Amino acid sequence: MPASGRRAKPALVVKIPSETSYLALVRDLTKKMAETAGFPEATADRLALAVDEATTNVIEHAYKGASDQEIELRFEDRGTEFRVEIVDTGKMVDPRTVPRVDLERFVTERRTGGLGMHLMEKIMDSVTFRRSARRNVCLLVKRKEPGAAP
Amino acid sequence: MSDLTVDTRDVEDVTVLYPRGFINAHTVRGFDGAIQKAVARRRFQIVVNCEGLTYIASAGLGAMMGAIEEIRASGGDLRMAAPNETVQNIFEILGFNHLYRTYPSEAEAVESFRKGGQAAS
Repeated sequence: MPASGRRAKPALVVKIPSETSYLALVRDLTKKMAETAGFPEATADRLALAVDEATTNVIEHAYKGASDQEIELRFEDRGTEFRVEIVDTGKMVDPRTVPRVDLERFVTERRTGGLGMHLMEKIMDSVTFRRSARRNVCLLVKRKEPGAAP
Repeated sequence: MSDLTVDTRDVEDVTVLYPRGFINAHTVRGFDGAIQKAVARRRFQIVVNCEGLTYIASAGLGAMMGAIEEIRASGGDLRMAAPNETVQNIFEILGFNHLYRTYPSEAEAVESFRKGGQAAS
């Protein structure tokens, strides 16, 4: 494990087909990149879950399940923070329309959507969405400061 | 080897599910199908033995939430047993521990039904 941690490095950019069969690869890759950036294994596991959820959202909502599209993942260790961009060219999904999680309502109303978004927000320090050059960009950021939220 | 297998075993009135592998949007159908099959057999006392579960994403949690109302309305419950640290951590992030009882072992989870314990909420 490099302790290099605080220096920015060139980004790693990966493109995958919009198929759920690639989610395991996304998870493994994210975990490895997070550990390389200096996060402990437990935190790296959570970051992998957040990126899995963001990628799943793209496949299910932006591409509506179409498996012939492309998703770009951009991993960047900026020294003080770890950033992952998930980029697609599908339908723009306004994250403000995703209902916030209410576990009691989930049970009584059988609602199962929005859990992924909730997990992403719980795990990451920042989750933002933007539209740029006809692409949707979801940016996940985790700071490296000691004592930051797990 | 498959990404996920789910075996089922009946222990008297309790049905135990054994997911082996990981549950995400790609594999969730197998897990959801196992829950639905148990419910279709009117087996409403369900334990998910998480020993072989390496990882669970929101799709898997959604499958459990999608079935829990019917299970509880029928007098049953869905309880977890032996989650590893990763899975336990995900339950905690979501506050699932308030919704689903979790036990260190399958035997304790099965026994909890014999004692007539109430659902977590």
